[in-house]
Amino acid sequence: MIEQNYFLTNTILMIIGTVCIRGSFIAFASRLKITPLTRELFTFIPAAILPAIFIPATFFHQGQLEMLAGKERFVVLLLCLGATYFVRNTLFCVGLGLSLLYALHALAS
Amino acid sequence: MNHLKRGFLSILPIVSGILPFGAVMGATFSDAQLPFWQALFMNVTLYSGAAQLATIELMKLKTAVFVVVGTGLIINIRFLLYSAALAPYMQKAPLWLRIFSSFTLTDQSYAAMSAHADSFETNEDAMRFYLGSALGMLFFWHTSTLIGFVFGNIAPASLNLDYAVPLSFVALMIPSLKTNNHKIVALVSSLLSLILYPMPLRTGLITTALLSIGVAWFLIGRRKKV
Repeated sequence: MIEQNYFLTNTILMIIGTVCIRGSFIAFASRLKITPLTRELFTFIPAAILPAIFIPATFFHQGQLEMLAGKERFVVLLLCLGATYFVRNTLFCVGLGLSLLYALHALAS
Repeated sequence: MNHLKRGFLSILPIVSGILPFGAVMGATFSDAQLPFWQALFMNVTLYSGAAQLATIELMKLKTAVFVVVGTGLIINIRFLLYSAALAPYMQKAPLWLRIFSSFTLTDQSYAAMSAHADSFETNEDAMRFYLGSALGMLFFWHTSTLIGFVFGNIAPASLNLDYAVPLSFVALMIPSLKTNNHKIVALVSSLLSLILYPMPLRTGLITTALLSIGVAWFLIGRRKKV
């Protein structure tokens, strides 16, 4: 059981900090002078941060398939990356990945 | 189709990833024996699944406040980059939308918007799209968290639905790889994220992102010199 005052202290401090982080640039957007270079740099943000979320999340996940050293999620992710590069559809990528992983587990069991 | 509706619909393909994550969040609140109003308060106002999951675990262990808050903020520091990327579209946005965005910016709503960035003719189009995707995220996140809180994590483990989260990020990243430089930065980020993964307090994520943006800066500068 988490004590109420302790929970609220932590949560309120995190809320204040997170709103400041999220709102940092948005709040002052009208006063910001965004140069073409900065605007171009911003286009790299998805490429810089999204792989840093999904690559470790799949590579370090311990799976069940011995033949893939427990890295079946990572292998399937790489396959989906290749396929989605040509198809460019989110639903296709999610559907293909979940189906492949399910099929691999079913085949192995 | 208007951009608000397009934004909302852009979240639908990744719902299969949001629902199990939200259900796990709700089940975690329930396991921690938090009263409903406390769970609701944190979920609505902090609105950050990864930070909430990590800090609930720390709070269960009665960890010092500065460690709990520091961990939550380090996990959330990536929103700084999303905020910077949204800023060009928000220059003429009304105050209410900026305040709304300061509470609702998430990986998914940002990624959905960046994946469709080429389709916006004006900043107003982009703002409406963002508003739609953020509302979609709010709806599905809170619904699934509520389900998880009441019923526990009901998704069968055999479906591996949690795996839909990284898969949806793959699909949302690909449209942003417009040039070879973007592909190089994605590759650098992938490799660095593996090398820096053991860093404490999940600081590997933001360190990877900042170093990758440094690489992007270098590549842009080199191209301009050529």
